[in-house]
Amino acid sequence: MYSSCPGEAMVDSPFLPHLATLAEVVDLTPDVKLFRMELHDAAVREGFDYKPGQFIFVSAFGVGESPFGLTSVSYRKDALEVAVRKVGTVTGALHELEPGATLGVRGPFGNHFPMDEYKGKNVHIIGGGIGFAPLRPVITSIVDHRDDYADLFILNGARTPQDLCFSNEFDIWAASPRTKLELTVDAGDDNWTGRVALIPSVVKELALSPENAVAIICGPPIMIKFTLVELKALGFEDRQIVTTLEGKMKCGLGKCARCNVGDKYICQDGPVFTLEEISGLLEQF
Amino acid sequence: MSGYITKEEVHRWLDGLRQSRDVVAPVKVDDLILFRRVDRVEEIAFDFANTDLSPKEFLLPATETLFRVEKRDGSVELVPRDIQRETVIFGIRPCDAKGMAALDLPYLEEPADGFYRQRREMTALVGLSCRTACAECFCTSMGTGPQDSSCVDVMLTEVDGGYLVELVTEKGRGLLPESMLSQKDAPAPAPPDVQQVPSAGMAEKLRQVFDDSYWGRLADRCLHCNVCSYVCPTCYCFDIRDYEESGVVNRVRSWESCQSPGFTKIAGGHDPRADKGSRLRQRFAHKLVYFPEHFGVMHCVGCGRCVRKCPVNIDIREVMRNVQQLSGGSDGG
Amino acid sequence: MSLTEGIRAKAGELLESGVVECVIGYERGTDGVNARPAFVYSTDEVDRLIFDDTCSHNLVKYLLNRKGKTTAVVAKPCDARGVNLLLNEHQIEREKVHVIGVVCPGVVDSAWGSKGDKLRAVCEVCRQHVPPVYDHLVGDVPASEPEVPEPYADIEKMEGMSVAERAAFWEAEFSRCIRCYACRQACPGCYCVECFVERLHPLWVGIRIGPGENQMWNAMRAFHLAGRCIGCNQCEKVCPVNIPLSLLNRKLEKEAWELFHFRAGMAPDTAAPFATFEKDEKVGIGE
Repeated sequence: MYSSCPGEAMVDSPFLPHLATLAEVVDLTPDVKLFRMELHDAAVREGFDYKPGQFIFVSAFGVGESPFGLTSVSYRKDALEVAVRKVGTVTGALHELEPGATLGVRGPFGNHFPMDEYKGKNVHIIGGGIGFAPLRPVITSIVDHRDDYADLFILNGARTPQDLCFSNEFDIWAASPRTKLELTVDAGDDNWTGRVALIPSVVKELALSPENAVAIICGPPIMIKFTLVELKALGFEDRQIVTTLEGKMKCGLGKCARCNVGDKYICQDGPVFTLEEISGLLEQF
Repeated sequence: MSGYITKEEVHRWLDGLRQSRDVVAPVKVDDLILFRRVDRVEEIAFDFANTDLSPKEFLLPATETLFRVEKRDGSVELVPRDIQRETVIFGIRPCDAKGMAALDLPYLEEPADGFYRQRREMTALVGLSCRTACAECFCTSMGTGPQDSSCVDVMLTEVDGGYLVELVTEKGRGLLPESMLSQKDAPAPAPPDVQQVPSAGMAEKLRQVFDDSYWGRLADRCLHCNVCSYVCPTCYCFDIRDYEESGVVNRVRSWESCQSPGFTKIAGGHDPRADKGSRLRQRFAHKLVYFPEHFGVMHCVGCGRCVRKCPVNIDIREVMRNVQQLSGGSDGG
Repeated sequence: MSLTEGIRAKAGELLESGVVECVIGYERGTDGVNARPAFVYSTDEVDRLIFDDTCSHNLVKYLLNRKGKTTAVVAKPCDARGVNLLLNEHQIEREKVHVIGVVCPGVVDSAWGSKGDKLRAVCEVCRQHVPPVYDHLVGDVPASEPEVPEPYADIEKMEGMSVAERAAFWEAEFSRCIRCYACRQACPGCYCVECFVERLHPLWVGIRIGPGENQMWNAMRAFHLAGRCIGCNQCEKVCPVNIPLSLLNRKLEKEAWELFHFRAGMAPDTAAPFATFEKDEKVGIGE
């Protein structure tokens, strides 16, 4: 049943979005906004369960639909949050919306970070720019259930200090026990007194240990590529490194045959993949 | 066989069906044969090999509006469109019916696409088995055959003066009551000889040669148009866009092909399949590896349309033979 | 020496000497009857190359996939006009392209599996049996080019229809269009990195495969070729639903001749009328 259909509707289809209200828009960086959305239908809202790593399609009606990683956590029973970077037609239209606007939401889709498998482990979270969006719910889950996990290391990088995402939560993360937060930028500004270095070199300098660890990386392909080199040099095995893949998507359901990387569909078998799984893919993107 | 029906009786039956249903049948349009909704039984072409385009457009239209967005009193409502009328597709060949069964697999897999399901449930298939095989047909190598009635509701086999009738499903029995049939001592004709292609073990073999430079060489002559995907009875990729016209927003789904440049291009400009070879390889890998591995059936029914219509003669039969050779097997001759 | 032998010899020579890395020609297709494009990269493959009256493809389009790489292309006269068009529009480099021109006897209207028995309509009115550009010519040059008194007979017939009749005619033809874009992909004049149908802002044509949009697509493509169409008729040949696109494109070719005395692709240095501004030129509607 979809919240949007009149009671007499005959057709039930996963292509029909649920309606949601844009509750709040927060500027995270000059080109990234955080959208907080409330689903209209109470039953849908109650049943909308998702895990870190999953994504939704957000519709700007009249313009189109695009997939976004969910950056909030389901168990807090709060608004759905996605980080939207203005990079194309749909994201451009979304950026024009004011709180109160009606959006469409479809999902949640995809697999998720297997948080249970990370319990008791040292978790290294490495993210660049908007790539930090799918990592934030992982951090939130760990911080909210701190005793379930061993050490937490967070490396958040961006091109400039203004492009660092979720800066309003840095204090919360850093204050969590057994947690270390490192920030880095490619280029500083007049006020920046922190680290100025590329993420891969920070990883190398800090000599992250692969002992009982999992490393989750998200960011631009070039950042991932060179960070992987450093992690492998430090002794991380392919199955210990996790990332997310993205691709052009239309349905999120495995029905439009567009987002496959070889025989794996990003919307069904991903977007979360270990490096071991990625190395085994037929197509190497 | 359930019985026999004369040609005249078939005409009468179809005429009767037209009163309460849309009858879609092969029709001569200039020098093409295309499936069209018919207003008169006389329009139907009974003598044809196969249609130029497949009948998949009646389950998956080339273009359809999924829903429109209505804004009323400040609130938004999504109004999905609804199919009201039942349809009978008459004259569908076994390969095309098998193609429809293949389309069911992704579309009816949970969560099922209600738009497709509605069309499917309201469509009945009256098949026409093949007395002859085209030079480019290869259905028997792709899991079906010229007399395969497993995917239709009623199967007609042409004999002298009429058709032998097989009522296959409940829906078929409801469509053509047995009372309309007579008995005739006509033997069912032998199936025609259909060319074989070496499809055995294709998924595994294609995986073995996935990185071969063969694909780039094959794609040299590919124009990357959409002809193969659009004439194919099993291809189902689509695009979805919103259109706002005169204040009404319609969400439209239309056919698209993995061959079009830009099929995998994401916002920001990155395209993981910018290279022609990887794009063309995707078509064959989807049809012969990914779909069969996921659903257990081939994603090609051997109808031969892509072979006939490809402007530059990219021939899936030749591709399968080449894959066999490259992977060390015999090419089956 | 037959056309086939001439082409094989030249191809072998060009590959052997390293003048080109690739020869684009024709080979026999899987129906055993008709030709298809062939890409030959080494001398031991040149015997795949053939030339006969089923060689109806325009291979010049493929030069755009090999920008910057040395390529030889077998070109009939109509195809070779495409080379001039692309040179004029700065899409290919003359030094990297080696044209193996063919004195063409005309090609037949072919269907899968069977060889046509009559020449293609555009071949019947051809006035150009010798390519307007070539590096090497295969075939015997005729004493003179044929006089064709009525090269546009089919266009004139269409012009004789009333506006209402013509609208009905084209509406019926375009209703079959499935927007496969084979016409665009086969056309040497269509090479925009982003075609207007893919543009969202402004939205010229959407993804709907239906009457209104089909008409817009076909009409606008024809207009983008006004003064540029080389008359090779690939568009009509590749259309899977037999839309008579040559009527549209050659109509505009006829207009370009009547208004500007211009035929596209006859020389590499003459610009298309709509890409040229001359202060003293005055062409008004109805003049």
